[in-house]
Amino acid sequence: MTPTAGRLRIFGIDPVAEGTRAKALLGYVPESTLLFDALTPREFLEYVASVRRLPAEVALARARDHVRAFQLEDEFDRPLATLSNGTRQKVVVIAALLHAPPLLVLDEPLNNLDPRSVRIVKELLAHYVSDGRRGVLFSTHTMEVAEQLCHRVGILDHGELLGEGSVAALREQIAEGDLPLEAIFLRLTREEEGVRDAVRTLSRH
Amino acid sequence: MPSGPSPGISEGWREAWRLSEPAYTELAFQAIYAVRQGNLPPGLPAAEVARRARRRVRQSKLLVSGLLAFFSLGPLLLVDPAVVHLFVLPYGLYLATGLGAVVVLDMILLWWTGLQVLPSFLASGVVPLLRSLPVAPRLLRRTALLLLVRLFDAPAATCLVLTPLVAGYALRSPLAGLLLVPAVLVGILFAVALALVSGRFFVRHVQGARGGGLRTWLRWSYLVLWAVPAFAMYGFVAVGPAFLRFVAALALQGPTGLLDAVFLAFPFSLTALPSLGLGLSTTGAGAALDPLVIAAGTLGYTGLAVLVGLWLRAAPLRLTLEAPHAPSRGSGASVRIATTSVARAIVRKDLRVASRTPGFAFLVLLPLLESAALGLWTFVAGPGSSNVLGLANAAVESAALLATFFGPAFFAIEVMGYSYTRTLPLPGRSVLEGKVGLVLGVYSIAALLVVALTLPRVFQPGLFLGFVVAELPAVAAAALLEYSVLLERARSKGLPVTSLYAGAWWAAAVSVPGLLESGTPLALFAGLQRGATAPFALPAMALLAVVELALVLPFALAATRGESR
Repeated sequence: MTPTAGRLRIFGIDPVAEGTRAKALLGYVPESTLLFDALTPREFLEYVASVRRLPAEVALARARDHVRAFQLEDEFDRPLATLSNGTRQKVVVIAALLHAPPLLVLDEPLNNLDPRSVRIVKELLAHYVSDGRRGVLFSTHTMEVAEQLCHRVGILDHGELLGEGSVAALREQIAEGDLPLEAIFLRLTREEEGVRDAVRTLSRH
Repeated sequence: MPSGPSPGISEGWREAWRLSEPAYTELAFQAIYAVRQGNLPPGLPAAEVARRARRRVRQSKLLVSGLLAFFSLGPLLLVDPAVVHLFVLPYGLYLATGLGAVVVLDMILLWWTGLQVLPSFLASGVVPLLRSLPVAPRLLRRTALLLLVRLFDAPAATCLVLTPLVAGYALRSPLAGLLLVPAVLVGILFAVALALVSGRFFVRHVQGARGGGLRTWLRWSYLVLWAVPAFAMYGFVAVGPAFLRFVAALALQGPTGLLDAVFLAFPFSLTALPSLGLGLSTTGAGAALDPLVIAAGTLGYTGLAVLVGLWLRAAPLRLTLEAPHAPSRGSGASVRIATTSVARAIVRKDLRVASRTPGFAFLVLLPLLESAALGLWTFVAGPGSSNVLGLANAAVESAALLATFFGPAFFAIEVMGYSYTRTLPLPGRSVLEGKVGLVLGVYSIAALLVVALTLPRVFQPGLFLGFVVAELPAVAAAALLEYSVLLERARSKGLPVTSLYAGAWWAAAVSVPGLLESGTPLALFAGLQRGATAPFALPAMALLAVVELALVLPFALAATRGESR
């Protein structure tokens, strides 16, 4: 995708001019887990680790730890086409973490995961950024998750950044002391009235 | 208020057809655009996408129907006096055998066609989606059956109408044409059932099979079986005359029991009906065809076809509703992963994808199986050792041409999962190295196969080995050219490289120059091989191949200088 305006740098690298270098610094979890369906998790992770030029022993050690943590051993040699959405999600999460990148870009990473895996990912992300040297860009529609995990929240509506900062800063922006993030979101996007109307209409059925 | 199925909805065929319309469009969309496999959806309005998908499916069916129509002309060849005189065989037996070959060809081509589309049909999830709607079981069964029938409609209709029509015209007897209808009809039913059963086997045991170790070899073995129908067509054309001579020998020398056994095999008892109906001779000097055998065979196959037909009524629904992949117990696999260079990772990934995807497996297997078949043919044909060189060279030539013609199609593997893999740091040069390596690998293994099968019997082994090695730079140049064109196009247009190979125009624009590149040194060798220039044939071929490679290399390097997108 070619940007139409603005300027983006990833650790000082222009991703348009130097896409390969920029991508090497990222770990990415897409919203939809459309992968090479014909590959097994083992074969997929081998491909990703090879493309990312990970040393064999590093790749093996990290894959082993992650696969055991997410209890993926039984599905490790089954084609992705045969796996549930939750298991496929675990595979893409592992693929994003395998090279321990300085920046994780996660689009709804908790989708389809079982509660145990959700807890692991949440704890892992909190630990990931704890030393201040690595970052996570997290995209979600679940405001509770954003409120729980994110240090800074940006509220995007139709491509426009309506608010940005800590949850406390966003509360200050709308001058409400104790609103949850979901309510802040609806207030900033001017959707509160729309939601009330929709519920009123649907409740008639 | 919860609402159930609407009362009074028709369960007839008209309603089933209406339901099958959007389901068929979805099938066509999945087959053409592979969005569920991770391809990016086309940036077009939904109606236009649906129209294009259906148009491309229609084009594919017309292509297969055209080939079937060509086979259906077989009876015209059969009655040609020049051909008839080649075989010393009672005319009735001759016609029954020849028409049997035509029906078998029709059946095998239909089966092969079914194999290409049935996995999509079984794993598409279209019928399970319909079942979640308030649709009566009978209506659902009819809709699933109609969906299956629509996959075969034009090709099956071509066989059913054209083959008897041409037979009737060739024999100047409408009755002969009518009497051939049962054989063609039974052949179609068998082909559809075979496609359904083998398609289900593939989805469960190849596509859904675990990876690793011996299982990989097992999957490739299944895929060799998958390619059998295609080679059966080739084989039947090749051995058809020999089979006719075998029947002729039986008719002349007997014994009758063996002739009866041949005519009890499908479809010969059914294709003997036109001969019997026209009162043509089925009696030779040494053996005679027993009408009771024909009656038994006809009744037996008709009965079997009825059973197959009954099975086909419900099978499409049952098979599309069952879990597409065989359940497998947890193995508690040891967690091992092995990394490699980027180019080798691409080759390994492509081969692994191909081992579970017949379309891609065919690209690998076709040159290999053809090399093996031509290599083995040198044993069967029993030519002199100098002619073995000619046959071996021809096998290597076809391996080179097939590898370079079909090679660019490996690019389409990148379509799968592209929405994810475009986020990987994958340089264009690594893609080029991997894909060219794969094409070279296919050529090399196919060529080595021919060498292994023929070298001890070749008159000039040094010349043959030199020929195999001399062609290698030309195959590399062809593959480099093909993939460079694709990558350059992707870089200059800012398009995802994966969507470039979707159209037939690009397939031709890329494959034809590659074919010329790999074919020119072969043509030069053939031109110089005779007469006084013979000693220069191999050096000239090798030189030309190296020059081609040297010319293409800078273009390839320039094409991969850009960034991955």
